[in-house]
Amino acid sequence: MRAVRFHGRGGQGAKTASRILGSAAFIEGFVAQDSPIYGAERRGAPVAAFTRIAKEPIRERGLIARPDLVMIADASLIHDPAARVLDGIDERTAVFVNSPLTAEQFQAQASLPGRLTTLDLTNIALQQFGKGGAISALLGAVAGRLVGLRQESIREAIARELSDLGLPASVIEGNQAVALQCYEAVRTVSVVAGTPQPIASAKLQVPTYEPPTRGTARISAAANSILRETGGWRTFRPVLVPDKCNGCWLCFAYCPDGVISMTKDDRPVVDFAHCKGCQICVHECPTEALVAEREKEGGVVWTAR
Amino acid sequence: MNQTDQMMMTGNLAAAWGARLADVDYVPAFPITPQTEIVEALAKWCESGAMAARFVTLDSEHSMMTAAGAAAATGARVFTATSSQGLLYAFEVLYSVSGWRVPLVLVNVSRALAAPITLEPDHNDVLAARDSGFLQIHAETCQEVLDSILMAYRIAEDERVMLPVIVNLDGFYLSFTREPVIMPDPDQVKRFLPPFRPAHLGFKASTPHALGVAVLSGTPYSYFRHQMHLAAMNALDVHREAAEAFEQLFGRRYDVVEAYRLDDAEDVLVMTNTFASKGKVAVDVARAEGRRVGLLRLRMIRPWPAEAIRHALQGRRAVAVLDQNLSPGQGGILFQEIAACLYHEALRPRALCSFIGGLGGKNLSEGELRTIFEQTAEAGVQGKGIGPVLLYTEAEHREMVQLQDIAADVRTS
Repeated sequence: MRAVRFHGRGGQGAKTASRILGSAAFIEGFVAQDSPIYGAERRGAPVAAFTRIAKEPIRERGLIARPDLVMIADASLIHDPAARVLDGIDERTAVFVNSPLTAEQFQAQASLPGRLTTLDLTNIALQQFGKGGAISALLGAVAGRLVGLRQESIREAIARELSDLGLPASVIEGNQAVALQCYEAVRTVSVVAGTPQPIASAKLQVPTYEPPTRGTARISAAANSILRETGGWRTFRPVLVPDKCNGCWLCFAYCPDGVISMTKDDRPVVDFAHCKGCQICVHECPTEALVAEREKEGGVVWTAR
Repeated sequence: MNQTDQMMMTGNLAAAWGARLADVDYVPAFPITPQTEIVEALAKWCESGAMAARFVTLDSEHSMMTAAGAAAATGARVFTATSSQGLLYAFEVLYSVSGWRVPLVLVNVSRALAAPITLEPDHNDVLAARDSGFLQIHAETCQEVLDSILMAYRIAEDERVMLPVIVNLDGFYLSFTREPVIMPDPDQVKRFLPPFRPAHLGFKASTPHALGVAVLSGTPYSYFRHQMHLAAMNALDVHREAAEAFEQLFGRRYDVVEAYRLDDAEDVLVMTNTFASKGKVAVDVARAEGRRVGLLRLRMIRPWPAEAIRHALQGRRAVAVLDQNLSPGQGGILFQEIAACLYHEALRPRALCSFIGGLGGKNLSEGELRTIFEQTAEAGVQGKGIGPVLLYTEAEHREMVQLQDIAADVRTS
């Protein structure tokens, strides 16, 4: 069996990529299983998806604790402990990162365990599809290449999954073409099946009763959302063009996360530790004084506390 | 007993008096037969100023339970009541408010569930809520209804518990039945029931807090659900302490189970609620004929008083469980729980018998009770349990056939 774990952000297409991989394997005659897991359904929040491919019926379920291949759609997730990207990765694990850096550059910067390969899928999607494009087909095709599936099955799987999402034929064909370019372009690393590990019995603990102040699902710490930094969710950041700003405060009023504050001179200041990059401020600005700029690798130093 | 301390009152009025004496702050209400008299009485007292509570009519039981839970979360002492379909309509909210750990008291007046629709009682309504996190106390008499509400607040509001409680009484057989009830002295009640000052609840702008939060993963969910289990289990000890304090102040004693003539009993009948009175009469009749039988009445259903049940039933020849409920495709609900808690008992009874009776308020006759004792004794001799046996007679079935013919327009003449 090959176990592939996808990490992405809500809206990026990690779930669809896992389905494209599952369908492609199924089309080739393998037994496949794919499933996503996510919390609150929010654009930008960490999402994981799992695809298992085997020749025999698959009896595992749910999350993959020891993946053979990890597909990382957004490098900023690596340092987010809530995303658990590094769980179960060791030197035998194949790891793909959607990044403009080469595997060597990335390795030097991030010191990931595992055998690394990279490709800048976001840039390819931007060049080929423009800003509204998703990388799901590209990510699925790269995963398919790494586990050794054929181009034809991936082409067909993309058609099935994207038509299931209601996309028109022209968009699907475009995705198939670009996805297969990525299939060719990615530098391969071998994906090997993990060997069974010795399993220790779980050490059970019976919690004791605690008074309802602690034993009830309640939050009494006020304003603790500041501890959860969400700046890493951005693909684009709002950037101010000061000459164009008329000081109307509309960006301040529309920001759904309250991360824009105003100076005495009526100019917005963005708290980039918490800005999720939704770009509502960019859309609402009547003078186009806020523009969206793509986040660059290493451009944002961000660590979840 | 000094008759001047007593009043003739229905079970419903006793329930309303329980809420009044407990000095509740808030009563969200929605009427449903046979519970309506409770909220009518409370509405009247709130209107007249006899009670200092805020009475609010809601647009459904779902809203009513939500309002009850939300008010209790602000630190108010809350009482409400419902019945049957109303309890089911509130069902989603039962699980929510128990998770908030709000110690409100809900009176359920048992009424069999539709379909077919009926008004008279059985216990499929209240037992459907047995996994909700509410504690459950089931009453036999109007006095016990009133007293149990006072005990329910004391147990619910204990820091070791902090769970809501359902006090159950049977529709018609208790809700509309008047009998003498001793009215507890309000000052004594204040001593028994100190003011409600929960540490984890309250509504202050200076100390905001969130209840009912999402956890979105299994680990905290497991922890909090297990805390509710521990809290419910703690209620066994807290109930005993409350029973002792209640006895000291009021002279009446209620335990989690009630043993009736069990001392030398070979065979034991297990029952709940109002029909247990009839069961006790049947025990007396059988005893007079020389049969060594007794009765165990389950008063507390959640937490399940397994230890008390084992203690009462171990070493008996045979045990009959009379379920006034039916789980289609399984049988009697309480029978399953009794069987489970006796399994590890070395001296478990030789035979466990399951009887289903009183469905939809059908009368439990002396003849049926005699049949139970006879069949149970025989099962004990044989060493093999029986059931589920439906208590339903040949004469009743003849009436049933006539009704079917009328319903199908078959002219029998």
